[in-house]
Amino acid sequence: MENDLDKVVEEIMSMPNVNGCLIADPQGLCLASKGAAHVDSAGIIVAISEQACKIQPNMKPPTVCLETDKKQCLIQRHGTITGAIFKLKT
Amino acid sequence: MVDDLRKYLNHLLEKVNGLHCILITDRDGVPLVRAVTERAPPLALRPNFISTFGMATDQASKLGLGRNKTIISMYSSYQVVQMSKLPLVITFIGSDNCNTGHILSLESQIEPFLKDLEVVVADAP
Repeated sequence: MENDLDKVVEEIMSMPNVNGCLIADPQGLCLASKGAAHVDSAGIIVAISEQACKIQPNMKPPTVCLETDKKQCLIQRHGTITGAIFKLKT
Repeated sequence: MVDDLRKYLNHLLEKVNGLHCILITDRDGVPLVRAVTERAPPLALRPNFISTFGMATDQASKLGLGRNKTIISMYSSYQVVQMSKLPLVITFIGSDNCNTGHILSLESQIEPFLKDLEVVVADAP
């Protein structure tokens, strides 16, 4: 059932510098996760994307980028599904 | 101590959209600390509703999947998330579209405060 989703996650993980990937549903429950992404962070990732959407409610959901010295986390909502990609900075 | 915890729970309530209340009770549903907004359904705050979790978690633990930790109940307009922290039970009540994952992630933020409460419940006759 989730083979297609797993394929997408594998594809994302094969990209350079990506060390984690997480997909969550609108309830903040994890649908798929791999690498550095922790299942428990699904709720917080969806909450961050929800808050970001409130900045400009009429526009399409923004991509949120959380950055630290060594890592980057990109959060994007597409319809009801929210995805997060964890990357190592080059 | 309880006042500080109540303040902290109220702070957590504001952080999660659609979360109506957080209750910390004992196994029988007797409330120890509660943070409630006016949107919380009064019937769900009664001990006879909360105490049903004790039986449900015991039965769920017999499914052969290990000890039951959390039960999420989805209703038409509310969701109830109950966590077993024996001898305590944490109950979250939110709207049906509230972020369930965010509620589950509050567990780790409440857990450090439970040690002192556990002692109080364990010492009670």
